[in-house]
Amino acid sequence: MAQKTAAKKSKKMTSVLPQALWRKIGSNYLLTNDSGHHAWLKEKDFALVTAGGMTELHPLFAELAVKGFIRNRLDFNDLAAKWKKKNAYLNYGPGLHILVMTLRCNHKCLYCQSSAAGVGDKKTDMNLATARKSVDFAFNSPNPGITIEFQGGEPLLNWEVLKGAVEYARKRSGTAGKELKLALVSNFSLMTEEKADFLLKNEVSLCTSLDGPKNLHDKNRICSSGNSHSDTVKWIKYFQKRCKKQVPEYRVFKPSALLTVSKYSLPRHKEIIDEYVRLGLEDIFVRPLAPIGYARKLWGTIGYDAADFAKFYLKSLDYMLKLNRRGVVIREKMATMMLDKIVNLQDPGYLDARCPCGAAIGQIAYNHNGDLYTCDEGRMVGWEGDDIFRIGNVFKDSYKKVMTDPVTKVCVVSSNLEAQPACARCAYKPYCGVCPVYNYEVQGSLWGNIPSNDRCGLFKGILDTLFTLLKSPGNAEILNKWVTK
Amino acid sequence: MGDKMKTSLPEKKLILDNGIYCPEAVKLAAFVFSGRAAVKIKPGKGVSQVLIGARSADLTAAEFMNEVLNQQCRIDLAKKNSKIAGIIVTKALLSAAGKKG
Amino acid sequence: MTKINLSVKVNAKDYNLDAVRYAAYAVSDAAYVFIKPAVGCVVVEFTPKTAAAKNVSARFKEELKDEKLRASIFDANRDLREFMILKALAYEEVPAGVRQEDSGLTPEQEKELDDLIAQVEGEIKKESAGNKTKDPLGITRTWEEKYGSKNGRKKK
Repeated sequence: MAQKTAAKKSKKMTSVLPQALWRKIGSNYLLTNDSGHHAWLKEKDFALVTAGGMTELHPLFAELAVKGFIRNRLDFNDLAAKWKKKNAYLNYGPGLHILVMTLRCNHKCLYCQSSAAGVGDKKTDMNLATARKSVDFAFNSPNPGITIEFQGGEPLLNWEVLKGAVEYARKRSGTAGKELKLALVSNFSLMTEEKADFLLKNEVSLCTSLDGPKNLHDKNRICSSGNSHSDTVKWIKYFQKRCKKQVPEYRVFKPSALLTVSKYSLPRHKEIIDEYVRLGLEDIFVRPLAPIGYARKLWGTIGYDAADFAKFYLKSLDYMLKLNRRGVVIREKMATMMLDKIVNLQDPGYLDARCPCGAAIGQIAYNHNGDLYTCDEGRMVGWEGDDIFRIGNVFKDSYKKVMTDPVTKVCVVSSNLEAQPACARCAYKPYCGVCPVYNYEVQGSLWGNIPSNDRCGLFKGILDTLFTLLKSPGNAEILNKWVTK
Repeated sequence: MGDKMKTSLPEKKLILDNGIYCPEAVKLAAFVFSGRAAVKIKPGKGVSQVLIGARSADLTAAEFMNEVLNQQCRIDLAKKNSKIAGIIVTKALLSAAGKKG
Repeated sequence: MTKINLSVKVNAKDYNLDAVRYAAYAVSDAAYVFIKPAVGCVVVEFTPKTAAAKNVSARFKEELKDEKLRASIFDANRDLREFMILKALAYEEVPAGVRQEDSGLTPEQEKELDDLIAQVEGEIKKESAGNKTKDPLGITRTWEEKYGSKNGRKKK
């Protein structure tokens, strides 16, 4: 029936290709649409399909029809259902709530994205009242599942408040009727068995930073003991052991690690991946550095351009695929999230690459003093002295006021790809997203100027790599497995 | 325009045709550039006259022109696409605020 | 910024101004662009940012052709696309076997779709009343216009 309606409507139209976007890669065209489908076409087939010359006899016709690229075969119910599934986040409020327990840190990382304060600077510790109020605020979100992530600085430096916040959040979730996930991002250097026990019993998932082998990790992540890598590795192993010995009382999650790619990482992709494999970590997030906050000042020393990152990313993925072919389980996190959109046509919950972006409506950062920011990057800009991304305070502002704050609105509007001239025409629109904080920091306006925006170059490089790899059946088999649920 | 700006910075004068670059796009670009250069706009007959004062006036003026084009393309797109853009933004904000959208 | 100056004349009969502007914008990663009118055409001037970007005129011509095609497809599909997205926003999973009306929507979905459209329009009207503008959500306005430029909200 829906097809009949489409056919009826199409008689009035002159064009033959339904709304689609494309990108020429090499000599072929990648065709995509709003529902997230894609198809590869040779130049002559692209000309045929755009000119309306493709008939049912053509070998690609059936595939293109199913994917919504043939106008008089559109199944609106199917396309609408897929669009909704891919953009499911439009139905919920903020799911990620980042509580900055302290800005103090015992590390002096080269890129220090969280722009941390010195160890003695206790005035940047969150107190228990603020932590509780922040938890209450997070539970106001209409999202049926919320994640509270404890961050810093180094959150273990404010252990008693962290502990109190975990207990309070667990208590609140009992009556709030929401699914609650708790997560801790820590360098593990202050971890003890007692703390570990408490965290595991409260089902807090644990994430740390691991930049690769010891000499590279310790070069990026400087700490007074000089043993950042050893501490991290020791506790990764500990939590893996605990995960293997599950107990009936609570679930123990696998620990995870985040890689930050600095200029020093670029020639060392193999060693970095080998280190993750050696430690039994099955996921590696090849995360580019962003020139935001403190890292912006050091960009000349530690930064790189999109083309350099794209080369590094391709080499890393190639190597991981090689390892997978040998039976090693190792996945790249960015690829996994993008593939979830490309292959499964669903939203993986990646707040940085969606339309609109997750600023305020997908995540909120709670500073130590209860100030609220659109995201952690927005908070970092605030720490550098510019409070443009502040959207309220847990003690002074209601949830509704924060969600209708002009800053919230303008971040949503400016990260809407339908209003960005280059993005609205880009074949990667169904999978991508822009970042108002990046645009503001690097290009001086929330909208940015996308053709010359390096973050855009970065995402294009990643997506070019993934789509090209997916063309080969051997690679596709492995990549599809990464997102098989 | 003729009149100089009250800065000691080198200056560059641009004359933009209103049919190509609408005055609104020029104004928006001037806002974006207000932190990095002195920008003065004077409406003329069918044109906007823009005076840019900056240390590298030629380069800044060239960058300014690209920003005007950026703003102009946004305005062009909004004419075609504002309904869908508005629906998505409204839905996202209503949902986040807890209203059934 | 190089000292190279390239220019391309575009016949106004072949391409409309929106297409010329977008094609020029698309290559603004590699060059500084200036567009000016001439009799029966527009002249697009490029100053490549680096010497390596000398192929910018050829890229521009490719973009121009691409944009013409893209614009015609976009124009022809605008209504269908709006319909699909509104339908998607109102979409609920329907159990197999439930008969659907000719529109492809159940009566409940039709009502929900109508309610959503009314709600969106209501929001837009409300914003418009406050702002007295045809651009209620500020789609065409920058943050800078509304709240000042970068450096605008320094900590007190």
